[in-house]
Amino acid sequence: MNKISQWFRKNRTLIITLLVLTIVYLLALRGLEPKDQVLTTLRGFSMGAIIFIVAAGFSLIFGLMDVLNLAHGTLFMIGAYIGWTIIVRPDTAVDAITPIALLIAGFALLPLMDVLIERLNIPEKAARIWPWVGLILVIAILGYLLPKYPVTTWDVGSYESSPINYAFAAGQGTLVAPEPELFQGVSPVVGLGGILLGSFIAGATLAGFAHYRRYSRKEAKVIIDQGLPHTAIWISIITALIGIIFYFFNDPLSDFLLDLNNAWLFLIAILVSFVSIAGIGALMEVLLVRPLYATPIYNLLMTLGVSAIGIEFVRTIWGNPAFTMPRPSLFAGTGEGCPAESLADILANKCSTISILGGRIRTYNDVFVIIVGLFILITVWILLQRTRLGMIIRAGVQDSEMVEALSINVRRVFTLVFALGVGLAAMGGVIAAPSMGLSTNMGQVLLINALIALAIGGLTSYPGAAVGALIVGMLQQFIVKYGQIGIPLPFMEEAFKPTPPLVPASTVLLMVIILLIMPQGLFGRKE
Amino acid sequence: MSEFTAPEVAKENIYWATIKNSRGLLITILLLAILPFIIALVDGQPFSELLSNDPGQSKFYQALMIEIFILAVYAISYDLIFGITGMISFGHAMFFGVGAYVTGIMFKSFGWSLLPTIGLVILAGIVNALIFGIVLPRVKGITWALVTLGIAEVFFIVIQSRELVDFAGAEIGLQGVTPPEYLNPVTERLRFYYLAMIFMILVYIFYKRFVNSPTGRVCIANRENENRAIMLGYNTFWYKLTALIISSVTAGLAGALHAIFHPIIRPDIAGLSFTIAALLMVLIGGVGTLSGALIGAATFRLLSFGLDRYLGGSSQIIIGIVYVGIVLYLPFGIVGTWNQRSVRRKEGREQLLRMFTGSKEKKQDENEE
Amino acid sequence: MDNLLEVRDIHTFISQFHILEGVSVRVPRGKIVTLLGRNGAGKTTTLKSILGLTPPSQGQVIFDGQDILGQRSFNIAALGIGYVPEHRAIFRDLSVGENLKIAERKKGDLDRKADIIFDLFPDLKRLLHLGGDHLSGGQQQMLAIARALVPDNKLLLIDEPTEGLAPVLIEQMMEAIRQLSSETTVLLVEQNFIVATHLAEDYVIIEEGQSVKEGKIADLINDQETIHRYLEAA
Repeated sequence: MNKISQWFRKNRTLIITLLVLTIVYLLALRGLEPKDQVLTTLRGFSMGAIIFIVAAGFSLIFGLMDVLNLAHGTLFMIGAYIGWTIIVRPDTAVDAITPIALLIAGFALLPLMDVLIERLNIPEKAARIWPWVGLILVIAILGYLLPKYPVTTWDVGSYESSPINYAFAAGQGTLVAPEPELFQGVSPVVGLGGILLGSFIAGATLAGFAHYRRYSRKEAKVIIDQGLPHTAIWISIITALIGIIFYFFNDPLSDFLLDLNNAWLFLIAILVSFVSIAGIGALMEVLLVRPLYATPIYNLLMTLGVSAIGIEFVRTIWGNPAFTMPRPSLFAGTGEGCPAESLADILANKCSTISILGGRIRTYNDVFVIIVGLFILITVWILLQRTRLGMIIRAGVQDSEMVEALSINVRRVFTLVFALGVGLAAMGGVIAAPSMGLSTNMGQVLLINALIALAIGGLTSYPGAAVGALIVGMLQQFIVKYGQIGIPLPFMEEAFKPTPPLVPASTVLLMVIILLIMPQGLFGRKE
Repeated sequence: MSEFTAPEVAKENIYWATIKNSRGLLITILLLAILPFIIALVDGQPFSELLSNDPGQSKFYQALMIEIFILAVYAISYDLIFGITGMISFGHAMFFGVGAYVTGIMFKSFGWSLLPTIGLVILAGIVNALIFGIVLPRVKGITWALVTLGIAEVFFIVIQSRELVDFAGAEIGLQGVTPPEYLNPVTERLRFYYLAMIFMILVYIFYKRFVNSPTGRVCIANRENENRAIMLGYNTFWYKLTALIISSVTAGLAGALHAIFHPIIRPDIAGLSFTIAALLMVLIGGVGTLSGALIGAATFRLLSFGLDRYLGGSSQIIIGIVYVGIVLYLPFGIVGTWNQRSVRRKEGREQLLRMFTGSKEKKQDENEE
Repeated sequence: MDNLLEVRDIHTFISQFHILEGVSVRVPRGKIVTLLGRNGAGKTTTLKSILGLTPPSQGQVIFDGQDILGQRSFNIAALGIGYVPEHRAIFRDLSVGENLKIAERKKGDLDRKADIIFDLFPDLKRLLHLGGDHLSGGQQQMLAIARALVPDNKLLLIDEPTEGLAPVLIEQMMEAIRQLSSETTVLLVEQNFIVATHLAEDYVIIEEGQSVKEGKIADLINDQETIHRYLEAA
């Protein structure tokens, strides 16, 4: 009994704040019609789910490594664009596999190159110069060959073959992929071999730079493990093989994917997006984040730069204008028996909407997204609470040095968590794309919402991320709704209509208020 | 006799010392002042044409320099809160944006003249700093950065909203601002050039003095170790707020100049990317060095000008890569690295001296290795 | 002489500060050696340098016949070094059971060692499911030591185990350390001179980042000059 009252006293501010928020929510509900009550709440949950998916990874990375990964939103966006490519233009995605796999094959050999260079004992002068020569060589080879590699894409310039048009056609089921292109100017053998060679040199160059860095830095001795990294060699061989095989089976695979039901494509898109962005994340952690752990502020600046590069990268490939992504066919039915009246109807007709209380709920936006959000919430929670990795993460959030002293390779855990965190965001991007649409600034908008959610919930707290995301999502959707119907205020003649700019403003205001009451956020730990 | 002459000599020394200490600044001022004429000379344009603001190479480069001056003031104002006081703000573009939009709206929609508008810009700058500072007593570090990001983002969205299209021009930007005739950037460009230049130099001198003043020193102490500064009895909140207000007002004034100079005020100048630009400029030049901010701004503008010209669309990616490279390999920026090197050069000289006087230490080190 | 650990003249920088300027420590197998010295002398940094948490820039650290300097901390720890950091740094977000479980190097370590651990610290057994942040200071210290006992360690580095504990608990802690030293070798940092002299056999005094004196504790107790010069509060 005593314990309970003690707990209450300890968390008094939190309880009162949550109570006030609940009351505000109930009051806001009272002003709506029954159908809008359900609809707006669902939309709030849906928005919250997407924010949560971004916020969760972000907060894990921040908690464990003290890295405020401002590229998180951009990776979310790139994930969405990768997913879009797979769903709308699978042939392009298949085309892109070969060069990417060949590039990975070279980079995967980095650990091997590390060992080899360490064994070679290159004199200091040469060790300083040759990576630069390698870099120039890499830029020359890859700069010449990669643009020549035949990837059938879209043309941002003309309407007929713009991403917007393809997306529309894919949604209608009338998509016709353009004829595949062929190598021009170079023979395929030279093209493929050259790219492979270029990527090997790139791996060696990076290892050379890293080697010289270690060489020139005299404060701490570092011993490189002298054994051959077998995993790296296998990964390299396998990816190279995959690249070459896909080159020869390009057309049948493209045709197969083009005929595939887009619900399957959607699943593939989520997986591919997750894996590729997780890979980029791992690479980013090893190459860019790791050298800057000692100075978190520079890490923050670096991620900002990466974010800017990512946005420009998407702009050059997919173009600036926003476009849509078709919903998976499970949630796109509009024909007979739709909008659905019952659960059986949904399953039978794959309706895009359900009618409840005279309102229409979109099965994808307002139901599926929430289910996915809950699924991720629970999965990550189980990962954190029930697995050894989760245990290490929770311990590392507090004191990663001590975890290392328990003979756990914390750096590998860092890389893994970074990869998982941004991979999760990319997955969120694919899931959010059909309801939000794609644009180059979607990542930034969402990242800001996620940051606000985390500031509200407590920066490194997992439940905090969930609650914060829910609060932000709800608040935004309710303001949007009241923007349509207006809030009747006693001292005003007309109903007060919150305008769209008030949507973000309201969340920021809430954040400021909550931070004034609880500077650590709702669930943040007091230091 | 000597009693009378002694102070005289000392005084002369002080003047001489001041000039000597700031010779870099003086040379820079001189160079900037004659720059339009040099360009005209190189281009073969007679000075009379230059003085009557006829089009030509000189006029074109004057415009580029004016942009650099404005950016430099913006960058130095960011350096004050980021580099000197040690607060990370992600909302700095809002300071600049408020200045620009207040000026634009007052000129265009209310027809105010220059002086009252400048007054309002200063007032708005102070209010702006107070808004940022409202949570400062309780929230620090990263969380404060997030708060500034949120506030600035709201401003960014508000100026782009459809509801305010008559005033702020939505996402296209604020068009049709007519500057006062005597400051027309087209017909009176040379005058504008000198105005912007003098403004930048005044701001630089003021900032230099501020940083060396007792208040500025507490700001630096706050950056180094806030808890220690608090323990020494300083209420760091007021110092941080002072730095914020100064920074906000100068950034706002830079924004006002921007609004007068550019035919269209785009909303981009209030967005996160413009804050990043400030960060980038400060970083290129060297964090916390003030003069670094100016050099960084010039480098940044010239770099993006050059890249835009020769690479076109992909220039932004290159700028991003340069930025990441600087963070990774040149974290102290141009001025910071220069200062460090000069320390090292000094050390090198001393080492050289030691080699002649006695080389025992050196040998010992070699043996150990 | 069979030394389990031999530290030879290590130098450590933390950012640009030269913290250790030549520390040498020998820890014979099966004994308790204590590092003595004033606050800020570099005792904790010595422990961390041995583990590679603050990697030394030069010198030698020989553990069990192998030079471990320059290896990554987790590799060094895996050779059989347990670390009990100062300030009772247990993981607050983990339960007592998890705090022990995370220290496992191989699956089943905890099950094998459970009897020994709960014999030493019977309190922990009934607290297994409690969160780390609900423990009292003494319990946290017990947990921190117990955590280092989970895997098979040849050497324990214990940093200030009695700091801030009540006298009764100090006795208990001393008893525990004495018991476990029959199994393993211990390098102990201890501010409390009386505790240190009761536990350890050998000592090394560290002063301003350098090891200045070493010997038997039995000799030190009578050596008022050394005590006055290096250990009494300045």
